[in-house]
Amino acid sequence: MDGVHDLGGKLGYGAIDVDESDVVFHHAWEGREWGISRCARVPGCTIDWWRHVRELIKPEDYLNRPYFDSWAQTDLAAYLNAGIFAMDEVISGKAEAGHYMAEEAPPVMDKDAVLAQDRKNAFRFDGKVESEPQFSIGDTVFTSSIGHDHHTRLPQYVRGKRGVVQCHHGAHIFPDLSAQGIETHQHLYSIVFEAAELWPEAKGRCDRVYLDLWESYLSGSDANE
Amino acid sequence: MSEHDSSKVVKIHEHLHSHLPSESALRVKALETLLVEKGLVDSRTIDAWVEAYTDEIGPKRGAHVVAKAWTDPDYKRRLMEDAPSAIDELGYLGTATAHLKVVENTDKIHNLVVCTLCSCYPFSLLGIAPAWYKAAAYRSRAVRDPRGVLKEFGIEIDDEVEIRVWDSTAELRYLVIPQRPDDTDDMDEASLAKLVTRNSMIGTDRDLKPDTQGLR
Repeated sequence: MDGVHDLGGKLGYGAIDVDESDVVFHHAWEGREWGISRCARVPGCTIDWWRHVRELIKPEDYLNRPYFDSWAQTDLAAYLNAGIFAMDEVISGKAEAGHYMAEEAPPVMDKDAVLAQDRKNAFRFDGKVESEPQFSIGDTVFTSSIGHDHHTRLPQYVRGKRGVVQCHHGAHIFPDLSAQGIETHQHLYSIVFEAAELWPEAKGRCDRVYLDLWESYLSGSDANE
Repeated sequence: MSEHDSSKVVKIHEHLHSHLPSESALRVKALETLLVEKGLVDSRTIDAWVEAYTDEIGPKRGAHVVAKAWTDPDYKRRLMEDAPSAIDELGYLGTATAHLKVVENTDKIHNLVVCTLCSCYPFSLLGIAPAWYKAAAYRSRAVRDPRGVLKEFGIEIDDEVEIRVWDSTAELRYLVIPQRPDDTDDMDEASLAKLVTRNSMIGTDRDLKPDTQGLR
């Protein structure tokens, strides 16, 4: 979707905070939210649906509220959407009778158990597809010039652009459908774009931008010609 | 498909915008309290995750991988060919690194990593991303004005050096191998690892110094 989250190439966001301190969590609540994100799972929520729920935060909140705050709001929205939380519970901050309650106690993990769990969380997203890859390394490809109104990983700044296939990664879960609850796999490629293809002011620069894009975002011919 | 209905989620966010307290600490507290009261999460497990990512999992892991690649050509070959297996040798495979790809800086190439659409980062290798990596200023500009971004970090890149920006749009995650500093031939892997800064593994740092401390 063409939302505020799609930031690549947008102008006017000011200076980068290059003097940020090296502390891992700047506030205790950031650590709490990180920990919650590691051990709480919304039933049926894929990473792609979760990202889409985050993209749908009001633009003013998305841009202005702290980063881990947006994770907390995304979790709350995902639990509300799944019917695990009720809005009156979120507002009062208390679980209330008549709403969802787990039947078994949650696991208690110490640091060693968590470190072992982190190793198990090396989730893979690749899988088998029947079709042969449509493109080969070195092929010129053109990206789709239009998006759609749900989740996608084709940013606006590379739409309708010419690139070259740099690498084929096999088939990975296609996020546009995964965010709608449908698991399918599609060939995934690293596509390299000349900076001057993307940005008028980059003419003469030798820089390149690489993106990992799914096959259905790509075409072998330019739709504009 | 009602459970994947964007317009329903927009309405939920409207409610949250109107009814949640403005302090982030209170919002996260409300979330944790509900999860605990509903029996979905135990607070001690949250404590353990905070501890693990504060004390154990962080950029020192990435620095170890870089120093090993500098000193052990066989390891570097394995790392370039199959990064997830190579970091697994050191026990660092984990959250968000199953599809890791390593890119190497040279005299003629500088690599810079960004996620313009969200904030993808190789957690089990570099830990929690700095806030600037997840903020709009960096995410918007890294793909368009990488030389300007690097200048803000105090790094000047010669015109003839090619900058390769990697926008993490899929589940691949990227680790930059910075160049080994000159005059470090007599240093061992552990000493070399101390020269590697977190930013050099993202690409917002370039020339590492043989006489400064990178990571704790």
